[in-house]
Amino acid sequence: MVTPHDAGLAVLELKGIGKEFGAIRALHGVDLRVSPGEVVGLMGDNGAGKSTLVKIIAGNFPPSHGEIRFDGKPVHFARPIDARAIGIEVVYQDLALADNLTAAANVFLGRELTRKVGPFALLDHKAMAARALELFGELRSETRPHDLVKQMSGGQRQAVAIARTRLSNAKLVMMDEPTAAISVRQVEQVLSLIHRLKEQGVAVMLISHRMPDVFAVCDRVVVMRRGEKRADKAIGDTSPEEVTSLITGAKEAA
Amino acid sequence: MMKKELGLFLLLAVISAITGAINPAFLSFVNLLNMANLIGLFGVFALGEGLVIITGGIDLSLGSMFALLGVVFIDLLTTYQVPWPFALMLVLMGGLALGGIQGFLITRLKMQPFIVTLCGLLIYRGAARYYTSDSTRGFGYGDEASTLSNIASGNIAGIPNTFIFLIILAVVLGVLLHRSVYGRWLYAVGKNEEAARYSGIRTNLVIATAYVISGGLAGVSTVLFVFYTNSVSPSSFGNFYELYAIAAAVLGGCSLRGGEGSILGIVLGTALLQVLQNLVNILGIPNSLNFAVMGTVILIGVLADQQLQARRRRKAALAGLARTAPRSKETTILQNASPRGAAALPTSAGDQA
Repeated sequence: MVTPHDAGLAVLELKGIGKEFGAIRALHGVDLRVSPGEVVGLMGDNGAGKSTLVKIIAGNFPPSHGEIRFDGKPVHFARPIDARAIGIEVVYQDLALADNLTAAANVFLGRELTRKVGPFALLDHKAMAARALELFGELRSETRPHDLVKQMSGGQRQAVAIARTRLSNAKLVMMDEPTAAISVRQVEQVLSLIHRLKEQGVAVMLISHRMPDVFAVCDRVVVMRRGEKRADKAIGDTSPEEVTSLITGAKEAA
Repeated sequence: MMKKELGLFLLLAVISAITGAINPAFLSFVNLLNMANLIGLFGVFALGEGLVIITGGIDLSLGSMFALLGVVFIDLLTTYQVPWPFALMLVLMGGLALGGIQGFLITRLKMQPFIVTLCGLLIYRGAARYYTSDSTRGFGYGDEASTLSNIASGNIAGIPNTFIFLIILAVVLGVLLHRSVYGRWLYAVGKNEEAARYSGIRTNLVIATAYVISGGLAGVSTVLFVFYTNSVSPSSFGNFYELYAIAAAVLGGCSLRGGEGSILGIVLGTALLQVLQNLVNILGIPNSLNFAVMGTVILIGVLADQQLQARRRRKAALAGLARTAPRSKETTILQNASPRGAAALPTSAGDQA
């Protein structure tokens, strides 16, 4: 069990999280701790409860049981905005970018910078482009602020989506299958983006089906099966073979 | 984005030059002013339609709105002798309200814009005909609203006021669409509503506002058209006008899939449509071919634009490849520098449960 002393270090702490949808039990008794600068891989087959867990942490719906603590304080989210306000960002699989806008416009979407011209607040294109360029620089991405997103590669789109989370100084970034739909070379770009987040002390939860990616960037791997946490191991103490057998149920728990 | 508008402007200039060369009457001062007046009349509500189309929706109800608001407006002025500022305000508010109802049905009750506004088209037209017992309403011999009439159908230094209204509204909406946060959200919502919602944008409000603006501009257009024709016959007033607006917006670069278009484009699209109508008359092409000419030009215009865009995309993709190719070396080195990455990649045999 977690001692209060350790709790001070965790950015996110889940205690006994459970979720029922009517008679269906989607999650049961999930405990989880994530520390700043830690990359945790969340693995499991379809229907194992990964997405439900992520949605609870992101504030899409509340848990039926259990407690969420963020930065040591118990939190309750009514809406995703509440979760974002305290520093939890989700990078969705389909990336949630507007193709017709530029990289900078997407980074600032919903949080536009404006400048006053008389009584009117107009978009401050220059400031947004400059800040976006800074963020892309931090991520060591070649993305140019004025390029349209529809002209970008999968890796660059990920950079834009991740730059969004840096803009709000998120403390926890959850990434839903960031490497599922892109080419092998771009996967490497995305994994290096995750390293950049880690360097800056951001906690990352990586939800992925791709074993090599999880083993390449994660410090710890958490395996879900049938709504329960079946394993929570440091990467060095496990192997892809063991994780695979945990996911499929060949091995019950570790 | 500016390329599209420039292309449209060139097309407009070329067509005008050719028509003018064949029949100099086309470029006569009187004809130009007449066209400016019509561009003003048809441009005002095309701007609203354009905003709606950018959200990925459509407003089919505009023409019927003109009929309903038109008969009410004339009735207020003649039968009820309401002072014109009040009548004007009521008509504008009526337009805003109709737009608001449609916006509510579309965003809150999740109905499709096509269906909601198609039903609007039928309902408003029916209401206008029932209200007047299908009889034409017009101004009597009295000067019920001569001041407003002078504003709506007058001119300043020869330039029709309708055209001046259009320019003013275009500038205001241009700033709103291209320079304000609301405009940015409108584009985002039109292309990817889900992304906009995840970004914390109140997408329902943004979309509904577009319909309200469109309704309000329909109110303005109603007043302009009423003083242009001086009477309203409820069964034909404004018939098909929404299609002119849609055509102008599409010609001007709006995509019916949403997220694309500009105010300048819509104004140029309206101008091109009016020039086409005018040249049919001027060149002695049978009037019955009017719509056919319009349809052909829109078809060719949109086709050409699509082909050009596809070519530009291919070029951009090639340029992008050339740019990223040298980068790949560096990223591989980065990847190998991470010890875990190098160790883990060979284990990919255990991939995928």
